[in-house]
Amino acid sequence: MKRTVDVSIPVGPVHPCWKEPARVKCETKGEYVLSAEVELGYMKKGIERIMRGRPWQEVMFLAERVCGICSVIHNMVFIEALEAISSIPVPDRAALLRVVVNELDRMQSHILANFSYCYTIEHETLGMYLLDVREKVMDELERITGARVTCAYIVPGGVRFDLRAEDALHLRANLAAIEEEITRYMGMFENGPLIALRSREIGILTREAAQEACAVGPTARASGMPETDRRLRHPTYQKLGFTPVSREEGDNYARIMMRFQEVLQSIALIRMCLDSLPEGPIRGGGIPGAGEIAYSGEAPRGELSYFIKTDAAGRVLDIAIQTPSIMNIEACCHYMLKGVASLADVPSTFVSSDPCIACTER
Amino acid sequence: MSGYLYEKDLSSMKYAILTSTRHDRMVREIADDLGIPQLRLRRYIMDQFDMLLMENLPARYEQGKRLTAEAPAAERDLKTHLYSRAVPLIQEEQMECIFSRVKEMMENGMPEKEAVSAGRRLIREAILA
Repeated sequence: MKRTVDVSIPVGPVHPCWKEPARVKCETKGEYVLSAEVELGYMKKGIERIMRGRPWQEVMFLAERVCGICSVIHNMVFIEALEAISSIPVPDRAALLRVVVNELDRMQSHILANFSYCYTIEHETLGMYLLDVREKVMDELERITGARVTCAYIVPGGVRFDLRAEDALHLRANLAAIEEEITRYMGMFENGPLIALRSREIGILTREAAQEACAVGPTARASGMPETDRRLRHPTYQKLGFTPVSREEGDNYARIMMRFQEVLQSIALIRMCLDSLPEGPIRGGGIPGAGEIAYSGEAPRGELSYFIKTDAAGRVLDIAIQTPSIMNIEACCHYMLKGVASLADVPSTFVSSDPCIACTER
Repeated sequence: MSGYLYEKDLSSMKYAILTSTRHDRMVREIADDLGIPQLRLRRYIMDQFDMLLMENLPARYEQGKRLTAEAPAAERDLKTHLYSRAVPLIQEEQMECIFSRVKEMMENGMPEKEAVSAGRRLIREAILA
């Protein structure tokens, strides 16, 4: 007679579908997952400790090395925190260029996350299509900032490089191509019967659970929490009339569709920036001074917070970074994975929360 | 007892998480609030929580404090939500049990302040047991 026994099954730390190492220990009863807990510590950088005591000019470069996928927002939040401490103004043109680069970064991050999900549910064709589109976004990032990943584009009082007229034209043309392709792939994802089987009503995160785990970003917005979007409180986004998108289902499918929708929203935001880009300087100057602040911005994965204390010379005396993946992976492992009907859905549910271990183990 | 060959002792890494700026502030606040030695509380958290829950504790703590502030008087003073859901130091059933005892004391004529103080003692005992 077949027996059902309780076993603890470790998934990871090295898993073919995960970009970074983490170990999820699943307590199972047959295929049913009763609970899960996570072990980290395979790539701890101790970057906050490295930052302490260093001048802001060095910490700025360290900040964007917290995460290779969303480096622009780490750069942006750190610099905007320094600007808030020292009341450094930013020219209008620079503020809009920051949004352009930040949204390009969000697009490539979301497309990469959706690629990982498609790869995990064995839909490699769609995954590869998405990677191909991502390259277009990376090319635009490189064209504007001079680098694909660690751009160091945002500096106190402005940005490093202006957007040339020919680059703006190229960006518009590429955005049109990306929009067309993403719309097509969204349709493929939406209507794929096998995708639906692996994604709908799997890994459900209710609004209450999302609130309790402090889930943020697309993970929270897929569970009906649009108010978690920090862009609502950012002055440049407010001027652009930004309104977040959200869904109610809270399952794997909703989280992936949420990111597709946000890619299209980012395209619209970039177009608005290009349309309203005023002539003028891109750097106003200003030197960071002494102060203490808690400052947050909306990273591709959600709310990213920096708690910074500086001295009169702009040296970072104390710093703590709260990355969105900390909250989202916790929401995933302690709420979404609980009650998953099949162990085969554990990797895909984990990936659907867009986990970034580099951010978590900053 | 069976175990994984590659199971690691995570104590030092958990301790590193707990001694970071925001975690340390949170531990000190909770220890002061409940009257528990900080070292005992750190040890307890390291034993009870997995690494990810530990990483997320400051965010949960801040969220828990906000929700607790909106709760009815006795629950707010006892911080039932904060210590059983946001920072799950004790299980929900245990907290419900403590809260019902506090309510019982108040119904029997004990002033609310004293009853809540007795409830806190019960929470402390549950953690230190």
